[in-house]
Formats: sequence, structure tokens, C-alpha cells
Amino acid sequence: MSLIRTSLHNAIKNIARNKLISVLCLGIIAFTLLIYGIFNYISFNLNLATREFSKSIEAIFYFKDNVDINRIENLIRRVKNNLLVEQVTFNSKNQAETNFTRQFPELKYILTEFKQSPFPASIEITFKLEYSLDTKITSFLDEIERMNIIDSKQLNTEWAKKIMTIKKFISIVGLFLSSILLLVSIFIIYNVIKLNILYRKDEIHILKLVGATNWYIKFPFIIEGALLGFFGSIMASIILFGLLKLFPTYATFMFDLIKGMINVEIIPHFIFIRLIVLGTAIGLFSSLFSTQHFLKT
Amino acid sequence: MIEFYHVSKQYVKNQYALNDINLTIEKGEFIFLTGASGAGKSTLLKLAFKEELPSKGQILIDSFNINLIPEKKLFKLRRNIGIVFQDFKLLTRRTIYENIAIPLVIRGERKSVIDKRVHSALSLVGLTHRRNYIPEHVSGGEQQRVAIARAIVGNPKIIIADEPTGNLDTELSIEILKIFERINANGITIIIATHDKNLIKMFPKRVIRLEKGRLISDWSKEEIL
Repeated sequence: MSLIRTSLHNAIKNIARNKLISVLCLGIIAFTLLIYGIFNYISFNLNLATREFSKSIEAIFYFKDNVDINRIENLIRRVKNNLLVEQVTFNSKNQAETNFTRQFPELKYILTEFKQSPFPASIEITFKLEYSLDTKITSFLDEIERMNIIDSKQLNTEWAKKIMTIKKFISIVGLFLSSILLLVSIFIIYNVIKLNILYRKDEIHILKLVGATNWYIKFPFIIEGALLGFFGSIMASIILFGLLKLFPTYATFMFDLIKGMINVEIIPHFIFIRLIVLGTAIGLFSSLFSTQHFLKT
Repeated sequence: MIEFYHVSKQYVKNQYALNDINLTIEKGEFIFLTGASGAGKSTLLKLAFKEELPSKGQILIDSFNINLIPEKKLFKLRRNIGIVFQDFKLLTRRTIYENIAIPLVIRGERKSVIDKRVHSALSLVGLTHRRNYIPEHVSGGEQQRVAIARAIVGNPKIIIADEPTGNLDTELSIEILKIFERINANGITIIIATHDKNLIKMFPKRVIRLEKGRLISDWSKEEIL
């Protein structure tokens, strides 16, 4: 307890003493984590959007005329038994006609020209949410399409796929940028701790001679790194929170499309927790590496 | 007891800082280690508290070979040895009280224990009135007394002093030596490296003389007298 208290006290004193270096270091950590946080936020929203689109993934298969009803029933049974499928609805030719007249009563007169319903019978398949973008769905749909009782099909998976591609691209760019910036942060903290070790070289020597343990000497530096990371992440969180609060005002006027995809009302708290944990961890490990390297006897 | 068995130290190939030193120092002895600059006095002291490692030979403290102490356990050896340097090695931004308290703080001693023992150490070196000063604001002699107080506050078995009077005038040097005598009276082994012949004459003790890394004479207190 005493070691933690003393180390914390020394670490805060060190940060306060080297004001310029500490402020620069905090600024760089905050900037790095802010970039990471922004990409995390975009990725989170694209995930939400993808999930929203995926909820309603449906495939409609239209049957050829005069298909034996037994073959259709066989297909429906097979589709129902598939694990990917949430629901199957069969629409007969007559039902399709009824639906049309219900939806477009003003066009009802057109149908009087036909002796029987001009609409093909169809089945509507809704997939389970957890499999919504599974490649198995594609192969399953292809399998049905190849059957000779099927005339045509309609799919609405395209949007979800496009969003997924964008999300993947943004994730890769985000990961790449964040990785570089995180490395920069690690490098900065590592060197700040190195400078402090060099600055306090005499003190460290004296402490060793009077019998201080290695941990007693290392601990304040490690705490200092962790504090820099922690305060840097707090700064990044405050800036990110501010940006997310301000963003809807601009988004409403400027980015209708983006606004459609991103739910600006939601500020996901897990991102802030992630930033703080990541910032502290970066500080902790950078200072640990630095002390390992520069506090050898 | 401190024992050196065939101890040699080389910093550069074919140049011995210490060459085949054999030496035994009994518990409670007061020893002057003397010799010209570069004779190997400081190297010998550094080997005793394992700041340097011998190139050859063994060093035993209370029959324990200190070469075998791993880096992580070195603090245990150092807590039994008080070290005093010519340049004092005090923390300039801390008060005299804080400087003396360091060996106790690093051991995690309670505040009440620290207060009591720092007060005793300050009394022994006659600096109770300077406890809240920073080292820069006291004289060289007083700074050296602070260093001695720091060395004794942890109740070490041995005190090693490397030229403790090197920066002080004769009067202050005598004062410092008297403090060491008082400490020695409590059974603590004292080893002082010095090239000050007058001091050695004034305080007759066992004298070990080094020359170019070799031990050339070892006179007991009686022989000196």
C-alpha cells in the first residue's frame, strides 16, 4: 500500500515537473486515441446499419406456370427444414392477385382482361438474423434457383453486402491508422520514461545503494506511464464525446445519406471504456518496456 | 566477518585494478584502507557492496559468497551495509530528514518508527536542528554528517566510507572520524578508504595499504601504536 502511495506521489510529481514533455505526450496520446475512437464509432454505426438491413433479408422465388403443387409443397417442406430459414410463406396465383388488388385497387380493372390470375405463384423466404450475411445463404439460394420449377427470384441482400464492404474497408483503414498512431504513442511514452530515468539517474543509484528493491525503483516510472496513458485517454474521451454531441447538428444539414446510415443519437459508452482501458494499457506497457530496458543494473 | 579470497579486478585487459587480494575483516573492526590515488581502494569497497563484480576470487560476508547473490536479492546485502561517499550523494530536492529516512522508507517502515530512528541518527551526528533544511543550505561537513546518519539509520552491520573526509578541512575531518568511532563503539564494522596520513596517525586503527592494486601491508592497531 505504502509502495503504491509513494509511487503514485512520485509519478504525479514527475509529470508536474516535466510540464512541457508531459503536455506533449498527453496531446499525442489523446490524438491517437481520438482517431481510434472515431473509427470505432464509425465501425459501430456501420455494424448497426448492416444489422438493420440484414434483419429484413428476404428472397422471393416465382414459380413457372402449371407446376405440380406436390413439387411446390416438397420445396416448401425442404426450405422450412433448413436451419438458415426463419419463415416461409407461400403465395398462390390467386393470393398474388388478391394482394395486387388490395395494394392497387385503382388498377383492378386490368385484371378483368385475364381469365385466370396473371401473377405467378411464389414463396417468400425470410432468413434468421444470425445467418443473415452467411455465405451458406447464397449457395442455398443458388440451389433453389437451379430447380426447373423456378422461373425467377428477387433478393434484397445487396445493400447489406455493400455496407459490409464499406465497413471492412473502414475497419482496415482504421486499424492501419490506429496501429501506426498507437506505435507512435508507445514510442513517445517509452522515451518520456527513458528521459525521466536518465534525469533521475543519481537518485536511482542512491536508492539502489541504500537497498531499494528493483520494484521500488521501477514502480513510480510504470505508474507514471500508466497515468500518462490514462489522462491521455480521458482527454480523448472528452473530445470524442464533444464531437459526437456536436456532430448531429451538422449531420442534419449536410450529410443526409450518412445520417440515414448512422444513428447519431446513440453514443456508445463501450467506446469510452475501450479508450480508457487501451490508453492505460499502452502507458503501462510502454513504461514497463522502458524500465526493463533502462533500469538494468 | 568480511573475507576476500584471491580477489582480482580488471577493467581493462592486462591491467589490474586489484590483484590477488586476500583479506579478512572481523566483526566490529575499524579499518583504514589507504594508498595513493588509483591504488584500488574504491574498487575494493565497491566489490564489498557488489557494485562491481570481481574478475577472479570470492568475497564472503558472514560466510556467504556475495558473488552468488542474484540481482533481485541484492537489496538484502545492501540493507546490511551503510555506504558513505566523498561527494555525499544526497538527494538535493529533499530535506535532511527525508534524506536520512530513505533507507527506512524503502523498507516500508511505519512513520512512528521512521521518526524515532531518524531522530536518533540526527542526534548521533549532531544535526537535529537542521532536519528541515535541504542539503544545499548546510555546510560540506554537515552534508557528510547527513550521509553518515543515512548510512547508520537502517542499523547496518558494516559501514563503508569512501574518502568521507576528502572534501573537508582537518577540523571537520576529525569531527567526522569521531562520529565513526562512536558508531564503531556499538559493534558496527567500519571500513574507511582514505589517503589522509594525518588522520590515520590521529586515530590509530588497523591500516591496510594498497599499491597498484596489490595489498602491500596490513598493520594492526597495536603495530601502528
